[in-house]
Amino acid sequence: MTTGTTRRGFLRGTALITVGGGVAASGCKTTALESEGTHAPAVEADGASVDTVPVECEVNGQKEALRVGGDRLALDVLRDDLELRGAKRSCGHGACGACTVQVDGRPVVSCLMPAVALHGRSVTTVEGLAKGSDGLHPVQRAFIGEDALQCGFCTSGFVVESAAFYDRWRKEKGAAVPSDEEIAEALSGHLCRCGAYLSIYRAVAAACRGDYDEPGGDGPRYEARDKVTGAAKYTVDVALPQMAHAKILRSPYAAAELRSLDWSAALDVPGVLGVVELLNAPASVRYVGQEILAIAAETEEIAARALSAVEIDWRIKNHVLSIEAAMAEDAPVVFPRGEARRSPANHSEGPALPMVWRGNLRGPGKLFSHRRGLARWTGRDGNHKAEVQGRYRTQTQVHTCLEPHACVARWGASGGLEVWMSTQAVRHMAEDLAERFGLKVSEVEVHADHIGGGFGSKATLRPEAIAAVELARVTLRPVRLVLDRREEMTVAGLRPQVRTDLRAALGKADDLAIKARAYADGGAAIGSATTPLMRVMYPQSRLDLQDFDVTTNTPPGCPFRGPGGPSAFFALESSIDELAHTTGDDPIELRRRWNQNEARRRVYDWAEALPAWKDRSEPQHDRGRYRRGVGLAAAVWLYLTMPGSRVKLDAGPGGIVVSTATQDIGTGTRSLLADVVASGLGIDRRRVSVEIGSSRAVHGPMSAGSRTASTVGPAAEDALRLLKEELLEVAQTKLRMRRAWAVPEGVRDSARFLSWAELLDESPVITVVGKRRRDRGGFFAPPIDGLAVGRYLSAAVQVSQVEVDILLGKVRVLQSWTGLSVGRIYNPLLARSQVEGGLIQGMSYALYEERRLDPRRGFLVTAGLEDYRIAGIGDCGPIHVEFIPGGFENVEGGGVGIGELSTLTPLPTIANAVWHATGWRPRRMPLRPDRVLEGLNS
Amino acid sequence: MIRLPTTIEAALEHSTTHDVRAGGTDIQERRNHGRRMRPVLDLRDIPGLDKIERDGEGLKIGARVRLAELAEDPWVRERYPALAKGAASLGNPQIRAVATLGGNLLQAPRCAYYRDPEVQCLKSGGSECWARQGDHLWHVCFATRPCIAPHASTMGMVLAAYDATVSVAGGAARSVEELYDIGDTLRDHTLDEGVLLTHINLPRPWSAEQGSYMRATSRARAEWALVEVVVRLRLDRWESIVDARVAVGAVANTPLRLREVERLLIGNVVNEPLFVAAGEKATEGAQPLEDTAYKVELLRASVFDALNAAVVSPPSPLIDAPDEDGSEGESKGSSQ
Repeated sequence: MTTGTTRRGFLRGTALITVGGGVAASGCKTTALESEGTHAPAVEADGASVDTVPVECEVNGQKEALRVGGDRLALDVLRDDLELRGAKRSCGHGACGACTVQVDGRPVVSCLMPAVALHGRSVTTVEGLAKGSDGLHPVQRAFIGEDALQCGFCTSGFVVESAAFYDRWRKEKGAAVPSDEEIAEALSGHLCRCGAYLSIYRAVAAACRGDYDEPGGDGPRYEARDKVTGAAKYTVDVALPQMAHAKILRSPYAAAELRSLDWSAALDVPGVLGVVELLNAPASVRYVGQEILAIAAETEEIAARALSAVEIDWRIKNHVLSIEAAMAEDAPVVFPRGEARRSPANHSEGPALPMVWRGNLRGPGKLFSHRRGLARWTGRDGNHKAEVQGRYRTQTQVHTCLEPHACVARWGASGGLEVWMSTQAVRHMAEDLAERFGLKVSEVEVHADHIGGGFGSKATLRPEAIAAVELARVTLRPVRLVLDRREEMTVAGLRPQVRTDLRAALGKADDLAIKARAYADGGAAIGSATTPLMRVMYPQSRLDLQDFDVTTNTPPGCPFRGPGGPSAFFALESSIDELAHTTGDDPIELRRRWNQNEARRRVYDWAEALPAWKDRSEPQHDRGRYRRGVGLAAAVWLYLTMPGSRVKLDAGPGGIVVSTATQDIGTGTRSLLADVVASGLGIDRRRVSVEIGSSRAVHGPMSAGSRTASTVGPAAEDALRLLKEELLEVAQTKLRMRRAWAVPEGVRDSARFLSWAELLDESPVITVVGKRRRDRGGFFAPPIDGLAVGRYLSAAVQVSQVEVDILLGKVRVLQSWTGLSVGRIYNPLLARSQVEGGLIQGMSYALYEERRLDPRRGFLVTAGLEDYRIAGIGDCGPIHVEFIPGGFENVEGGGVGIGELSTLTPLPTIANAVWHATGWRPRRMPLRPDRVLEGLNS
Repeated sequence: MIRLPTTIEAALEHSTTHDVRAGGTDIQERRNHGRRMRPVLDLRDIPGLDKIERDGEGLKIGARVRLAELAEDPWVRERYPALAKGAASLGNPQIRAVATLGGNLLQAPRCAYYRDPEVQCLKSGGSECWARQGDHLWHVCFATRPCIAPHASTMGMVLAAYDATVSVAGGAARSVEELYDIGDTLRDHTLDEGVLLTHINLPRPWSAEQGSYMRATSRARAEWALVEVVVRLRLDRWESIVDARVAVGAVANTPLRLREVERLLIGNVVNEPLFVAAGEKATEGAQPLEDTAYKVELLRASVFDALNAAVVSPPSPLIDAPDEDGSEGESKGSSQ
C-alpha cells in the first residue's frame, strides 16, 4: 500500500471562500409589488397587436384554454401553467432533448417552440403517454427493465422520443428489431451525461421486439418508475407559493478591481424584491463569470433586467489565461502574496497542503516521489533498454450536469431554514449552511430527492445557494435560483487542464523509472493531483514526481470524477505502451513485472486471455483509408469510505423504512439500500421503502469519491444484523419460541420455523440504527472528518478497438472491453450502468469535449451544448464490462467503489489504439479532426 | 407583444417593426439571449405557407413547411433525393419537427461571438470581428468577407444545387444564389428589411437524378457541420456524367455553388481520379484562417465522398419527356 494522501472534509468549506468573506450588504423592498407578467389580460390594440393571445389545445387528452405572450415557449406553458414538469429545461437551445414532448404524435423541441404554435394541436408529455393496465407505455417498461437511466434528468425526453419511435415502428414494421443505427438516428437529438446510452439501445430494441408489451416487474432500479413517468422531482421542479426568482450578476472581466458597487437603481426596478452582494468592494475579481451580487424579483426576467441597472466602478487589470502565459517572467499574478493565497478553492479530492508560491506557480508537490535520486539517474547513464518522453495535454472539461446547479430556499417563521438543492451532499450542506447562518444543524433541512447529475460539481456550498438563502432572508419570500446553461458551462464545474511532461525509462532489469512534472491549470483554484497517482499505480518504481498548480484568470476548477486521473493515466499509460513497443515487450507482461498488487494481477490475467487483445493484429496493419487498432491501458483508484455513517431501519408489519442522510445522484443508492434489506430478510423489495434525500435522517455519506456503496452497504447490513437480533427476541418472547435460534432465512426452534417476513408481521415496530464499521485490519489513513482511506486499491484494464478515418480525421471507438477488480458488486445491472457511463464520459473527453475561452478576454466561447460537445448515442459502440471476482475480503461489505475507476482508462486506451492503427501517438486531447489530420500528416 | 396576421398583406404592414417568426427555433434562441427584441410577428395564421405543391412540372414549397415534412414527403424523396437527404440530416429530429424551410434559409449565423449577448461583433454593432482575432476553429476556410462565420443554412446550400428560386412578398423573386449574393456586406441574405419570403420554387426534377448529401463532423450525429456537401449527378448508360450540381456549406460566409467542379465533372466518365480531381478543384480559392486549414482538407475529402455516394445511390425515376425540353439550360450549355 503506497498512498500517503490524507483526506479531510475537504469538499466542505472551500466554496465558502470562493464567495469572499461573506455577504457584505443586502437590501429589500418593504412592500412587495403586485405580481405581474404572464397572466395579464389581453390588451387589444388596433385590433391585431396584443400582449397575449388565446391558445386552445389538448394536453394529455385534456382540453386546455390558455393565454400566452409572444415569447412564451411551449415548455414554459407546460411546466409553469400546467405544472407538467416531466419535460425539463436543460440546454435551452434544442441540443439536449430534455424538453421533448410530442405534438400531434411527433417529438418536438419545446424549449424553442413558441407556445402559440400549440394552438389547435394535441400535446403529449411524458406524464400522458399511452398507458397499459400498469399505467406505463411499453417503452417506459423497457427503460425500467433494462435500466436505461441513471440520474433521470434526460429520461423524460428519451422516453417521449422513444415512445414516438416505437409507436411508428410497431405500426410499420411489427415486431422487427430496429438496428442500433436506426435507434441512434431516432434518438440523435438527446444527450445523456451519465452515459446510459447502451441500455437505452437495449431498451428501445427490446420494446420494439415486443418484450415489454405486457406489464412486468419493477426492474433493478428502485426509483425507475418515477423517473420514466416524469414523477421524480428535481430541485428545478420545486415551486413554492409566493416564490421569488433570482439572478446573479457576474464579472465580465477576467481580472479587475471592483472598486464600488451601487445597486440602488436596481432595487427600484418594479418587481425587484431584494439584492444581496456576493463580493465586498473593494475586491479583486479573478475570472469572467465571478459572482458579484444577486437580485430577487417577481420573475426571472425582471431579475435579469434589473442586473443591468447595477452600477459598478471597475479598474480593469491585466490577466493571464493559459499555463504558458501564467508562467512567463513578468506575468500578472492571480493570487498575489498574503491573505489572497489562502483563498483559492481546491479542485482535488485531497487536502491542499501548504506549498511554496512563485508568481502563479505553486509547488512542487513531490511527496510521492520514491527513490527519486535513482529515478533521475536512470535514463541518463545510458544504462537502460529504452527511454521515451512526451508532453501530454488534457483539456478543461465541463461537468455539464443536465440539471443545472439550482437552489430553492425558504426561511420558516420560527427561524428555521429549509433548502432544496441539487447537491451531492445533503447532510454536509445542512452543516455548512448552519455554520454560515449561525443556526443549529437541527434548524436546517436540505432536500434533494433527485439530482440531475453531479460528477463532483455539486458537493460544496456554492455561491448560487448562498445567494438564494440570503435573498430568502432579506425578502421574506422563498427564493429560487437556477443557473442558465451559459452560467452552468462557465463556472459551475470544470476539470482543470493539465500539462504533463513525462520521461520513462526501462532499465536492463526491466525496472521502471519515471520523471514527471504536472502543471494543472485549475483557473482560480489549486489542487494539482496528477503525479501521485503514478506512485499509486507503480509503487515500486523509481519515481521523480512533481505537481504544480498554475493559477490563471479563468473560472475555478472543482473535483471531477477521478480528479487528476485522466491526465495521470493518459501520460503514464501512453508512455508504458510506447516503452513496450520500443523494446518489443508485451505491454501486459511488462506491467506485470512491476506489480505486487492482487487487484491489478486479476485484471492483467483477465486482459491477457481476452480474444480482442490476444488476437490483435500487428501495429499499423491496415494501409487503407480506414485503419483499425487496438489499445490497452490499466488504472487503479483509491478506496474511500465513511466509517461512522449510519442507516436506520423502521420495521414492522407495515413494511420497512430505510433512511439515511444521503442522496442518489443516479448511482443507485436507493436501489442498493432496498436490495440489501429486502434480500437480507428474504422479502419483496416493494415492502421496503427508502427515504433518502433529506439532511434530517441519520448521518449518511456524500455521494463523491466513489464512497457511497462502500459506506451505506455495510451500514445497512449492520442495521439488518441488529434488526434480526430484535426479531429473534420477538420470537423468543412474544411468540413463545424461547429456545429459538436464528438461521439465514428466519428463526427456528425444534418445533417450527418462522421466516423473517412472518416475524415482521407479528412484530411491533422496531427501530434500529446500523453503522459502517471499520474494516478488518483498519484503514490506510484513519478517518479525518469521517472520511477514511482504505487499505486496498481497485484496478481496471480496458482494451479499446478504434477506427481512424485518415481523410476526415475521425476517430471512432468501435468496441471496448473493461475488466474491473472491485470485490463484491451489490447490484450487477446498476453497477454495469455506472461503469458504462464512466467509460462513455471518458471516451467523450478523449474525442470531443473541450472548454474553449476567448483567447484575448477569457470569456466562454463554448457556452452551450452545440459547441461544448458531449458524446451522443451514435458515438457509442458496444462496451463489455466484466467484474472480476475475488479480493477485498477484509473490506466491510466486501466491495469498493466503481464510479471514478471507470472513467480513467479511456484516454490512454484510445490514444494507444490510435497509435496501433496509424503509428501516430496522440499526446493532446481531445482528438478533434483537425488534430488527427495534423498528427497523421506529421 | 405579438401579432398573428392572417394575410400576407397584413403581415407586410408591420414586418419592418417586428421580428418575423415562422418555426421559431433560431429566432427564439436569439430572443432568449436578448438579441432582436422587437415585438413578434408570427406567420402561424397565414394560409398557404405550409404546403408542398406541384407547380407545373416543378414544386412550390411554402416557407412555413417544416423540415421534417419536407424530408418525409414521398414526392420530394422520389424526385428530389438530395433535397430530402439534406432536410433529413440537419439539426436533430425534434428541431426538424419545428424548424421551417423559410426560417432555415434566413437564419442568423451560429458564431458564438455573435450569439453572446455581451459581445458586440461586426454584425451586432461592434467594430471588430472577435472570431478572427480569437477563437475561430469552426469558422470559414474561404475567408473572403468581413464576417467569417460559416453560413448556417444547409437548405440554402442544397437549394442552390437545385437552381431553386424564392418568391418574395414586397420584393422581387430571385434565385437562391441571388438570395445569398451579399457581396462584401455583413448581411445574412439579400432580402430587404420588411419583405417576406413566402415560397421556394423548384424546377422540374431531373430524370434519373443520383443525389447525395454529406457532412463532416467530429461526433457521429446531430452536430453543426464542419463541412457539408450536396451533389446531384445524372449519368448516361456508359457512366458518363451528363449533368452535375455541386454545392458546399460551412466553409464560407454563404453557401457556395461550385460551378468549376461541375464543369470538370460533366462529360467525363465516373472514376476515382476524376473525383479526386473534383475534390481538389473544390478547394481552389480557399483562404483559410489560422485555425481552419483543416477544413480545406475536409472539403477535399467530403466532395470526394459525396460524389462516390451519389453514384451508388438509386436514381430517381426516368422522366419520359426528352431532356432537351428541360430547363437546365445553363449547365447543359457548359456541357457542350
